Amino acid sequence: MHLLRYIAGRLVVYALVIVFALTVLFFVPRLGPTDPVEAMLAKVASQGAYMDPAQVDKLRQSLIDTFGLGGSLWEQYGAFVNRIIFSADFGPSLSMYPTPVMELIWNALPWTFGLLLSSTLIAWVLGNFVGLLSGWRPNSNSSRVMEGIAICLYPIPYYILALVLSILFSYVWKIFPLTTTIRGAPWSWELVSSIVWNSFLPAMSIVIVVFGWWVISVKAQTTALKEEEFARYARLKGLSDGRILTRYILPNALLPQITFLALQIGLMFNGSLITEILFDYPGLGLLIYTAVLQGDFNLLMGTISLSVIAVATATMIIDLIYPLLDPRIRHR
Amino acid sequence: MSLIQTHRPKRTLMAVGLAILMGGTAFSGAVAPAWAQEMTDVGTPRAETLIVDMLNARVGNPTNMNMYQQGVTTNHGYHQMAGALLYDIDTAKGSQIPDLAAEMPIPNADFTVFTVPLRQGLTWSDGEAFTADDVIFTDQMLRNTPALGYSAAYAAQIASMTKVDDHTVEITTTKPTPRLSIVLGSVIYGNPFHVVPQHVWEGQDPATFPNFPPVSISAYKYKDHDPNGTWFLWEKREDWQNSDVGQIVGEPKPQYVLFRSYGTEERRVLAMASNEIDILTDISPESLDILRNQNDKVRGWFTDFPYANLDDPCERGMHFNTSKAPYDDARTRWALALAINAEQASIATFSGMMRASPLAMPPTTVLMDTYHQPMAQWLSEFALEDGYKPFDPDYAVRLGERLRSEGVENIPEDPEALRELLGVGWWKHDPAQATKLLLDVGFTNDGGVWKKPDGTPFTINILAPADFEVQSQRLAFAVANEWTQFGIPAQVQQMQAGAFFTAENTGDYEVGSYWGMSCGIVPDPFVRMEGWHKDYVRENGTPASSNQGRYVDDELSALIDKLRTIPADDPQIVPLGTDILKELVEGLPAIEMFGTSKFVPVNETYWTNYPSADNYYEGPWWWWSNFKFIAAKLEPAAAQ
Repeated sequence: MHLLRYIAGRLVVYALVIVFALTVLFFVPRLGPTDPVEAMLAKVASQGAYMDPAQVDKLRQSLIDTFGLGGSLWEQYGAFVNRIIFSADFGPSLSMYPTPVMELIWNALPWTFGLLLSSTLIAWVLGNFVGLLSGWRPNSNSSRVMEGIAICLYPIPYYILALVLSILFSYVWKIFPLTTTIRGAPWSWELVSSIVWNSFLPAMSIVIVVFGWWVISVKAQTTALKEEEFARYARLKGLSDGRILTRYILPNALLPQITFLALQIGLMFNGSLITEILFDYPGLGLLIYTAVLQGDFNLLMGTISLSVIAVATATMIIDLIYPLLDPRIRHR
Repeated sequence: MSLIQTHRPKRTLMAVGLAILMGGTAFSGAVAPAWAQEMTDVGTPRAETLIVDMLNARVGNPTNMNMYQQGVTTNHGYHQMAGALLYDIDTAKGSQIPDLAAEMPIPNADFTVFTVPLRQGLTWSDGEAFTADDVIFTDQMLRNTPALGYSAAYAAQIASMTKVDDHTVEITTTKPTPRLSIVLGSVIYGNPFHVVPQHVWEGQDPATFPNFPPVSISAYKYKDHDPNGTWFLWEKREDWQNSDVGQIVGEPKPQYVLFRSYGTEERRVLAMASNEIDILTDISPESLDILRNQNDKVRGWFTDFPYANLDDPCERGMHFNTSKAPYDDARTRWALALAINAEQASIATFSGMMRASPLAMPPTTVLMDTYHQPMAQWLSEFALEDGYKPFDPDYAVRLGERLRSEGVENIPEDPEALRELLGVGWWKHDPAQATKLLLDVGFTNDGGVWKKPDGTPFTINILAPADFEVQSQRLAFAVANEWTQFGIPAQVQQMQAGAFFTAENTGDYEVGSYWGMSCGIVPDPFVRMEGWHKDYVRENGTPASSNQGRYVDDELSALIDKLRTIPADDPQIVPLGTDILKELVEGLPAIEMFGTSKFVPVNETYWTNYPSADNYYEGPWWWWSNFKFIAAKLEPAAAQ
């Protein structure tokens, strides 16, 4: 009964978070300084194509009608809710009209997901492994070296690191491409290898900076946990180091790491803006950036909504599986 | 999103960092081409492929090439290599040329009916003949598809098109239109009117038709693209003779033209340094400096100072919302102009690599000859209401001396050559006269603190682009520094493009680092200059389609009314344009400052005969519709 109440509570919070977030997402861009119609007209004008001002007035009205920005804010909100609930449709992108927002998102999603899922998991596994060993045997040479590397890498500004990697591996030694060039037929080996090849450098840049954080945080946890009473008791019982590490320390050290990993995976739907800009990588981060610059309300709502839903869902899943991982919650 | 910053942009810092990092890589030997076997990563022979930087970076919807749909970008090669307009522009001569049309439009007496002969012998890339039927079909399609944004704008200007014969159409306008070739052809960048192939578009819904893969009319056809929109490959047509370029220029040498995006400026610089790209769009002067040091095949428009092309059709300056006090008084605007040390602003912005402009007309080569040089005498004699003569004809001479003293090489000694290079002159830096003008208006200076006539402190907020239009961005900081040194605290508010232009159009600014109507490329000042008419003034808060400075000047509007009635080749054009420029100097609704310097380098490793200051057959406008004529004149370097 307690468990059911716990699950129901989490589901209600989940639904409220999403409704609230979508409402905020609708109103906030409209209160901002960018009018998508004016942004579109400026794009036409800045490219110099001549239209006399009377023609521009006509075009402005046409764009307002086309973009569905005509009625009052509440009328627009009603149409938005209607669209989202009944057809999960965020409408056309205003900056890349008439391409549907969902089409743009679905095109970008695999790229972001592939890049961030692989790099996040690699950094998580490596970081936790190294951090755990460093915390368990803090005075060994290998621990010190690995920890030293992590401490050196962690504070490097990402922008600088990515630029240095590009110059070294794409300019000095021309190993990886300077820009993303994907070749190959759908589902072919050439395509897969092309994607991996083009994603390697951006993925490496993420692994390098994130790896350090995981090492430092797990090491701190491990150092503290091994002095806890249950660990001391295990040692006094004469259990082997391996058993203490895997059965007593690891499960407790991993709990917060799993939570954070889940949130990281949820946040993947934001894309990795700086990585995608620096490596010209075709992911969600670039889409969000375009949406902000161009005042593309629909694209902004589509991409951020996806992120909100992903983070809320990841959090809910973690909340739901916590009782399985942590008996203290199960028996509360 | 707006950010208030008062520091110099980060771009310089990043360029310096890039220079340091790349400096250590000179040993890489990355610049030696391997002619015979080298292939591009899209599978074409490098020596046969011209690689061009894409203006708007990656394209989000690469399989939509319907140029009539709002939001569809076609400057990934379609606009420059595959499409053609009725009329295009020869930027070296400063005049329009017939492209799909066989000659310029022939008007009736009151400029309402035009005969337009079309070029004969053209075919679309699928072999179908180009005829008057395509033009008429395009007219009907636009007129009957209100869902297209351009539809209403088009119908407001063009009343009808009728077929005279297979290669002639007659066009009727809704009102006297002395400049039909501007309405339907390019003066700057391009034109929204594109003739479409009837046999492809017929039966399609133009509002949703993706036009992909496109059938082209010019010398190149679509070959391939990246699904993520980072590159687009165009191949020379086997029947290039049947294209506009084939008839006007001859056979283009590049077998392929690859438009591609490398992302950030740092990566674009790396790409050109390693010969992966032949032509770059705008970069910063610092980046050009790095490139020149890294690769001796890279060069700017000039081989020496100032390196940049100075013929961009829009100039930069400080624009006022003249409907807002205290900027509604011309004396305030003049005081702020005289508080600026232009030499200092030029050096702070682009290290002096700019041509000054006291007129609301960009100082391009053609327009220097048409307006700037001929008006120099008038400018010297021009006086404000109190008799003060603000013009300084020795600006270029002093800046030249200063640059020479700072070790910049190849600065001309001759004053006339300096004026030709750096501008005929600008306004004096005269803080005393600026102070007098402000006091005349009713400002007070209380212990070094300027107060407005209403008693509130006088501070200035300059709206500027954030990370685009870098010259305007830097100029804003330079001018803010000048005004602050004069005693008026000034800060720069940077905005991203959408917010920046929304603020300009709705009048939500007081001073902006804009370019607005200060554009021109041909002696006829109609395009853009017409925008100063008072008819276009709107209330603040309501978007204005022109005259965003809300400037009302009856005499100026009367002169523009006259301009509207005469064609571009009328002998009265230049005298009338001169009168308009004089009126704008007197009222000074914007402090015009410098022509735009474009740092648009080319790499001569694979291709040569690019246009340049000493080979000026066209301007370096790689992103305009007339780029196809430039590409057709390039020569393979291997052949030499």
